[in-house]
Amino acid sequence: MGLSETYITKRDGKKEVFSLEKIKNAISKAFLSVGSFATEGVLTNILSRISITNGTNVEEIQNQVEIALMSERYYKVAKSYMIYRQQHLEDREVLDKLNFLMDYCDAANPATGSKYDANANVENKNIATLIGELPKSNFIRLNRKMLTDRIKELYGKELADKYIEMLTNHFIYKNDETSLANYCASITMYPWLIGGTTSIGGNSTVPTNLKSFCGGFVNMVFMVSSMLSGACATPEFLMYMNYFVQLEYGKEYYKESTKVVDLSNKHRTLDKIITDCFEQIVYSINQPTGARNFQAVFWNISYYDKYYFDSLFENFVFPDGSAPDWNSLNWLQKRFMLWFNKERTRSVLTFPVETMALLTKDGEPLDKEYGDFTAKMYSEGHSFFTYLSENADSLSSCCRLRNEIQDNEFSYTLGAGGVSTGSKSVLTINLNRCIQYAAKTGKFYMFFLEEIVDLVHKVQIAYNENLKDLYNKGMLPLFTSGYINMKRQYLTIGINGLVEAAEFLGIEINDNPKYLAFVQDVLGLIEKYNKKYRTDELMFNCEMIPAENVGVKHAKWDKEDGYVVPRDCYNSYFYIVEDTSMNILDRFKIHGREYIKHLTGGSALHMNLEEHLSKEQYAQLLKVAATEGCNYFTFNIPNTICNDCGTIDKRYLKECPHCHSKNVDYLTRVIGYMKRVSNFSVARQVEANKRYYATH
Amino acid sequence: MLLISDYDIVFQEVPNEVTLSLNLSDCPHSCKGCHSPQLQTKIGKELTTDIFSELLKKYGQHITCICFMGGDRHPETVQEFAKYLHSLGYKVAWYSGDTEKPSCIDLINFDYYKIGPYIEELGSLKSQTTNQRMYKIINAQKEDITNVFWKK
Repeated sequence: MGLSETYITKRDGKKEVFSLEKIKNAISKAFLSVGSFATEGVLTNILSRISITNGTNVEEIQNQVEIALMSERYYKVAKSYMIYRQQHLEDREVLDKLNFLMDYCDAANPATGSKYDANANVENKNIATLIGELPKSNFIRLNRKMLTDRIKELYGKELADKYIEMLTNHFIYKNDETSLANYCASITMYPWLIGGTTSIGGNSTVPTNLKSFCGGFVNMVFMVSSMLSGACATPEFLMYMNYFVQLEYGKEYYKESTKVVDLSNKHRTLDKIITDCFEQIVYSINQPTGARNFQAVFWNISYYDKYYFDSLFENFVFPDGSAPDWNSLNWLQKRFMLWFNKERTRSVLTFPVETMALLTKDGEPLDKEYGDFTAKMYSEGHSFFTYLSENADSLSSCCRLRNEIQDNEFSYTLGAGGVSTGSKSVLTINLNRCIQYAAKTGKFYMFFLEEIVDLVHKVQIAYNENLKDLYNKGMLPLFTSGYINMKRQYLTIGINGLVEAAEFLGIEINDNPKYLAFVQDVLGLIEKYNKKYRTDELMFNCEMIPAENVGVKHAKWDKEDGYVVPRDCYNSYFYIVEDTSMNILDRFKIHGREYIKHLTGGSALHMNLEEHLSKEQYAQLLKVAATEGCNYFTFNIPNTICNDCGTIDKRYLKECPHCHSKNVDYLTRVIGYMKRVSNFSVARQVEANKRYYATH
Repeated sequence: MLLISDYDIVFQEVPNEVTLSLNLSDCPHSCKGCHSPQLQTKIGKELTTDIFSELLKKYGQHITCICFMGGDRHPETVQEFAKYLHSLGYKVAWYSGDTEKPSCIDLINFDYYKIGPYIEELGSLKSQTTNQRMYKIINAQKEDITNVFWKK
């Protein structure tokens, strides 16, 4: 067989007939580049050292040329040839980036164009978001290198290799690998209150009045968020604001909210002054942020019933010696919620994500006033989360910001101990792949899973060591200044593909003993290891991750590799989101205490409804949630937004109620936060269309 | 004998209640444009107290009302079940397609009573021109609450 009939494999995988002339050319050029000349005889000697068979790829041929040049002692030529190859490699990388850049510019929206972490929180596609996209691959490489070096040091090379193997084969997924910062945090604002932002690198002094509170708060949230890759929760926002309103307008300001207090020509009432403050803060924080690739900061706040308030802040003292006051805060919380609900009919406002924390007793809210108010706000079309607990021993201000409150002590430097929490890092297990792989290879899935669970804990410990290094080098001012605490932030084990794994095992996805046992076995295993690896400085929790883009990726990768994939986006719930056979009560039940008990990091039930319910009905559903032990949930009724006249309506409508245009879009929660459906990535839009919205 | 085809948890049919609604088949009416014509045939199984026990075991704690969707061929049986459910403390609603209330029915046994066949030209309860009426029964007195369906 002559060489001319041999086919080689090109870089793009295509086959091409091997051409001797091309190699000769390349070698001749290498000789010329060092001022030398290759005769036919020299070329023949070099080529005789090269062996090419069908399927040999370009890289292999070039490696052989390098070795042949050196064997024939043309060292200078070999060096030049190697440099030439390296330059081409770099050119190809730039070309890849350029292609990505072009694809991104042509994509339907930013979430679809993003290669690494599709995110609907970026509304516009422009030069700023493109700048954010380009270095992401380098961050991934850097993060992997830092992590594997540390794993090698702590546990040896074998485990480091295993981590990369599991990661590249999609058994596990490292969330937010495109960022260097730790994940998300719920902060105590006390360090800001007593020291301004100087301790975290800012230049503003302590807030002294309502105006400086509002401006300073926005700056502080932006600064904190720029040092996190995920959400920033400020569970004390309204309590602090209340303090400053009181300083200016008296302890009982809420009793005279209609009084004109503005001496300017505007003659604003106190109520107007306060809602103007809300407006300033909320609109500022919803702006796209330069430091976060044009994403808005992801801001969460909390509301409390009286019992939660008492329990969290009973020992709290403001710097002037005064204590937080419930009566005025009660008014301010309600005022904010009412204002925000109304404001959302004027503008698409994604943040803050709000959580109402209610204590329950005997299957109903203990604070009747707040139970009623919660039901009323839902019935008026406001969309927010509710967190229910029988004890004020835990709190949640976001799906993954649930924490056990270990100490409610008040500190004169750090404020309320109970509110500070968060997740340093999330590492997710793709349960569907793990379980199917175990079955394929004849292993009992719990044994295989145990290996993976052990691995992810060790990787997280390695991450924590790297974070400690950054901390010791003074790179993490949020920790050093006390906004968050190294020992109280969790290392989170995420799960995805739980429902799909159960389906593969032939388990029906509804409330039945087999499914419950499966859920408890799998999640129980993770919790066992969470406890096993817990130390004074390490805390682990487990979360069913919202998986805005991972749910889509896992389904895609698993399908490509021949696993059973029942849908294009893995569920983030205990039920199948498109299943019409499960009614609303079934869904609460399957997110009830028996199912979620090992999900220490939380999960959120998104109850999708087509129409709003009445206050009485929501009140009954709060009781249902309390009785079933479903601790974190929200109701989603898609809001309609007219693409022609801009009208926003809280109902799920086919046409605009104002101009009757049928060109309407919807606002709903992509995962935890509300966005226009058209901002979702294409894959998520498909998933959103399949969601079952109970019609009755 | 009443035949139950399926059930659901509903919110729009009975205002302000969380309702377990029972779809009864063997409907004697054959309204033009009926939204569930399969219920005009005999499908499902006999509705018995055992079925009630099973459903109430599952949902009893969470619902405030039970609604019979149909059952017009056997109004006395519907009434007997209504009495039984009242004795357990639940509110009872009945969606009937009859034009006139059967004389054997005492409304004291019900909390909500919808009456009237579906007439395509006049529309369902949601239409302001509907012939159908929804009553809330308070102290054996009917209060017409049909208009609560119109606001949407």
